[in-house]
Amino acid sequence: MSALAVQFEGVGKTYPHFTLDDINLELPTGSIMGFIGANGAGKSTTLRILMGLVHQDRGAVHVLGCEMPAQQAVAKRDIGFVSEDMRLYGAATLAWHMDFIRSIFPSWDQAYAETLLKRFDLKAEQKLKKVSHGQRVKAALLLALARRPRLLVLDEPTTGLDPVARHEVLHALMEALTDERRTILFSSQNTLDVEQISDQITFIDRGRIIDSADKETFLERWRRLRLDVPPAVTLPSLPGVVETTSSGRLAVVTMNGYEPSMAEVYHAAGVTVQAVDSMTLEEIFVVNVHNRRERSVA
Amino acid sequence: MNTTIVKQLILKDWHFLRGPIIGYLAGGAVALLLICTGSEGGFFAGLVLLITVLIAVGIHLAMTTVVGERKEQTLPFVMSLPISYMEYTTAKILANLLIFLIPWSAILLAALALFTIGNAGGIIPFMVLVVTYLFTAYTLLLAVAIVSESQSWAIGAMVFGNLFLQAFFYGITHDPGIASKMKGHVAVWSPTAVTILVVEIVLILLLLGGTFFFQARKKDFI
Repeated sequence: MSALAVQFEGVGKTYPHFTLDDINLELPTGSIMGFIGANGAGKSTTLRILMGLVHQDRGAVHVLGCEMPAQQAVAKRDIGFVSEDMRLYGAATLAWHMDFIRSIFPSWDQAYAETLLKRFDLKAEQKLKKVSHGQRVKAALLLALARRPRLLVLDEPTTGLDPVARHEVLHALMEALTDERRTILFSSQNTLDVEQISDQITFIDRGRIIDSADKETFLERWRRLRLDVPPAVTLPSLPGVVETTSSGRLAVVTMNGYEPSMAEVYHAAGVTVQAVDSMTLEEIFVVNVHNRRERSVA
Repeated sequence: MNTTIVKQLILKDWHFLRGPIIGYLAGGAVALLLICTGSEGGFFAGLVLLITVLIAVGIHLAMTTVVGERKEQTLPFVMSLPISYMEYTTAKILANLLIFLIPWSAILLAALALFTIGNAGGIIPFMVLVVTYLFTAYTLLLAVAIVSESQSWAIGAMVFGNLFLQAFFYGITHDPGIASKMKGHVAVWSPTAVTILVVEIVLILLLLGGTFFFQARKKDFI
C-alpha cells in the first residue's frame, strides 16, 4: 500500500474568473487533513479534481495509487465522498439508498450502517424529501461510511448543521479513524471543526495553497507577542513577523516560526515582552490570508 | 465497462419512473382505442393523444433522469460511485432508451396489430413514420439534455422537435406516395416513405454517437 493516499503535483485549473494554481498536496495514508479556505478559495474545485469529477488543465493527481481522472472508476471503489451540495433522491427512502449502495459496494457493512442509523437518529423508511438538512447530511455520511472506504473526502459536511448534528458528524468521523488505514480529507470554513479532528492542516486562498503542515506544528509555530516598546527604541526586525500593530508604547507582533530566542532579541533591544500568546487555528488562518492578500496587492 | 453499476443505474432510473410509465401506457391504450373507433373524429383525437403521450414520455424521461439529476443536485451522489463519465453517459442513454421504448414499442406494435386486424393496413407507413419521428425528436432532446445538462437547452430542443413535427406532418400528408395509400387496406411503402424512415434511423444513430463524442471531450462533470 502506498504511503500517500493523495498526491497533487503542480495541479492547475483555469476558469474565466478563477484559477486554481500550482496545487501541491500530499496526504499520508491514515491521516486526517483539514482543508481550510474562505468561500470561493478553491476547496471544492480541488476536491472535485481529486474525485476525477473535474479534470485538471495541468499537473498530476494520484489517489490511492490511481492516476486521476483516467482511473477514477477504480479509485472511487475505495473513496467515500460527501459534499455540502450533494443531495440524495428525495422520492426514495434511506433504506432504498442503503440497498442501492450495497448493490454496488461489496465492502458494505450492514451492521455498521445500522449502528450509524441509530446514532444519527435516522429513520430508514422515511422519504428523504421530508427530512431536514442535518438529517440529509447524516444520511449521506452514513452511506459513505458504511461502505468502509479507505479514503473519505468530505467537502464542507458540517456547513448548515446545528451544533448537535455537527457534534454527531464529527464524532462519527473520529470513530471512523480508529481504522488507521483510513484517510480523511475534510474541507471546511469552520476552523473549530477542523481543529477538533485533523492532524494535518492546509490553508487555501484564491486558488493557491498558502500553508500546509501538521496541526501541532501550526499551533507551535504561530505566536502573538505583546510588547512594550519605549519611545526611543526601534522594534528590531525579526524573521517570521507577519503582522505588527502599535498603539502608543504597546505593539502586538504576530509571528510565524516563533522561537524562545526571539524574546531575548527583543529584550536585548530594550523591548519588554509582556506576553507570548498561543493562537487559535482561526486566528492563524485569518492572519495568514490577510497577510498574503496584502502582499499580493503590494 | 463496469456493467454491474451501469445496470444498477438503469434500474435506479426505472425505479423512479415505473409509475408514470404505466400511466403513459394507459394513455397510449386509450389513444389506440379512439383511433380504432372508425370515425374520422376518433382517428384524429386518438392520433393527437398518441402523439401527446409519446412526446410527454420523452420530456418526462429526459427532464427527470438527466436535467433533474443536475437540478436536484443528485449528480454528485451518482458521480461519487465507482463510475467514469462515459459509463454514466452509457447508463443514462440505455436507461432512457429502454424506458422510452417500452411505451413506444407497445404503442407501435398495438397500432400495427389493430390496423392489420382492422383491414386498415394503408395507414401503417404513416403511423410508423410519425412514431419514428417522435423517437428521433426524443433522441434529439435526450442528446441535448445529456450534453448541455441545461434545462433551457433541453426546452429549446423540445420546441424545435415539436415545431418541426408540424412541417413533418404537412410533408408526409401531402406526399402523393404516402397520402394516396393511407386509406388502403394494405401497407404500401413508397420510396419516399422508405427514405424518410432511413433518414430518421440514421439521425437517431448520429445523435447517439454525437452524444458520446461530446461527452468524451467534457472536462467538468459537476
